[in-house]
Amino acid sequence: MSTSLTSLTDRRPPSAAGGPTAPRRATPAGRSRHTVRERLVAGGFLAPSVVLVALFLLAPFVWTVYRSFFGDSRTSPFSWFDNYALFASDPALARSVQNTLLWVVGTVALPFVLGLAIACMTDAGRFSRLVRLCVVLPYALSGSAVAVVWNFMLTTDGAVNQVLTTLGLDSLAQGWLLTWPGNTLVMILANAWQATGVAVILFLVGLQSIPPETLEAGALDGASGWQQFRHIVLPQLRPVSIIVIGMSLVNGLKSFDLIWVLTQGGPGRATETLAVSMYNETFLELRPGAGAAIAVVLTVIVLAASWLYLRRQLDVKGV
Amino acid sequence: MSLGRVLRNATLAVLALTWLVPTWLLVVNALVPATSYSGSPHWLPQDFGLFDNMSQAWDKAHLGPALGNSLLYAVVSAVAAAVLAGLAAFATVIMPVGRQAVWFWVIYSGTLLPLQVFLRPLFLSYAHTSLYDTQLGLVLIYTAIAVPFAFFVLRNYALTLPREVVEAARIDGASWWRVFWQIHVPLTRSAMIAVFVFQFVAVWNDLMFGITMVTSRNIRPVMAALADLQGNYSNVGPPVVLAGALLVSLPTVVLFFSAQRFFVSSLKIHR
Repeated sequence: MSTSLTSLTDRRPPSAAGGPTAPRRATPAGRSRHTVRERLVAGGFLAPSVVLVALFLLAPFVWTVYRSFFGDSRTSPFSWFDNYALFASDPALARSVQNTLLWVVGTVALPFVLGLAIACMTDAGRFSRLVRLCVVLPYALSGSAVAVVWNFMLTTDGAVNQVLTTLGLDSLAQGWLLTWPGNTLVMILANAWQATGVAVILFLVGLQSIPPETLEAGALDGASGWQQFRHIVLPQLRPVSIIVIGMSLVNGLKSFDLIWVLTQGGPGRATETLAVSMYNETFLELRPGAGAAIAVVLTVIVLAASWLYLRRQLDVKGV
Repeated sequence: MSLGRVLRNATLAVLALTWLVPTWLLVVNALVPATSYSGSPHWLPQDFGLFDNMSQAWDKAHLGPALGNSLLYAVVSAVAAAVLAGLAAFATVIMPVGRQAVWFWVIYSGTLLPLQVFLRPLFLSYAHTSLYDTQLGLVLIYTAIAVPFAFFVLRNYALTLPREVVEAARIDGASWWRVFWQIHVPLTRSAMIAVFVFQFVAVWNDLMFGITMVTSRNIRPVMAALADLQGNYSNVGPPVVLAGALLVSLPTVVLFFSAQRFFVSSLKIHR
């Protein structure tokens, strides 16, 4: 690097980031000569990331927002909010919004409750490591592989129907992926099967950071097991809980692979969520304007959801 | 044993078994030779047809090139993202950069947006620039997607480092480039590995870009090949599809359990 030469002759401590708060600062004259060079080097360090993100992520985002205001007829005329109005008029999109809400509730509640319960029950105990392994294992699979496994469980001649028939419950055996809302619900369960593992890991980390003295103090004061959990453990798990909820929420909103491989959003368009609808409208129905509007709405929801836990992260780290 | 403990252990046993059933069926039925699969799921292993099934899946879904491609995409983009994001994190935390908050948000904002937003513009511009259906094209996209989160993790980690070491090295006349590679990277090694593991898995598991930006079988990544295999479920038979799913999951499962420490640390940094 050419900068090594100049910095060899320059034996001044670098003016630290954030200028005003830096304890040691160069003299003003030396500083301006110094900082132009320094800033160029820093720019060189920043440039690859900034260019990649701007070119591949931010520019496409702006373009998608722009495109969402143009219609899908042959000339793509400017159409104000017509694409957004589809949410009110298109039954497939209304269903997609319903499914997305189901997914949000299911992907937040199930991994949270199950993860917390399993983490608390396996915090100590003999065969708890084994139990944890069973639950965490699916987390290592991809969404597509999970879909393959659950297709095997849920198809008409799959494992679930086989068990029901064996138990003499033939009447309950059904095409699990064929009727709404059952198909969306079983996919949410499949998602929980995969996603609970990470909640367990996070809650265990949270549980281990609780000082045992607080529990001992609670026990000395005569708190029952449930009271200890409710008033000592739960409040101290708050930071972890926010991470788990925020992560599951955003992952639930973005989930695509599982639905795509299991049902491709069908039958009809009954199991689409917004993430899948966007793909369908854009690439299969060839209505890019509608697809862009769905992507923008999805973005707004994801941003709102991210805010929930981002607020904390950024408070702590202080940008 | 108290009643509470009995209840707890019983609940745990039921939960563990419930969780294990799909995994168990995946493995058992991937073992059943495809020709002797009776049409309904097997619950106990019989005969050993795993390798036959895997090789059938390998042929039917052209898994060979797909696995090679995914390895290339995952390794190259994860390394590139870790290095580029590391440089950017170093610049914003250690170096005297103005408007740090602006740079932070410019890079970090990328990870907040759902991937669907990027899909069609990238698809169109790739079609115009002949990056469509190329390995380079996918590597660029995967790297760009990985950079924001990698930057976030590495920046947060860098904020916790003592500044004295870097300042001492600077006084001794080391260039920023040398400080980065010889001091900063070794200091942030664990975060770098966490980022690599995390992004490797993310790229390996990606389906959406794999089915959108690619058509040829010798370019597509492994999850696109698996989705294709699943699409032929009734033709090739469940054992072959399950064996294929098992095969393409092995790398990430192995990585996950051998690097669980780094996974947990990357999740903790996420906070």
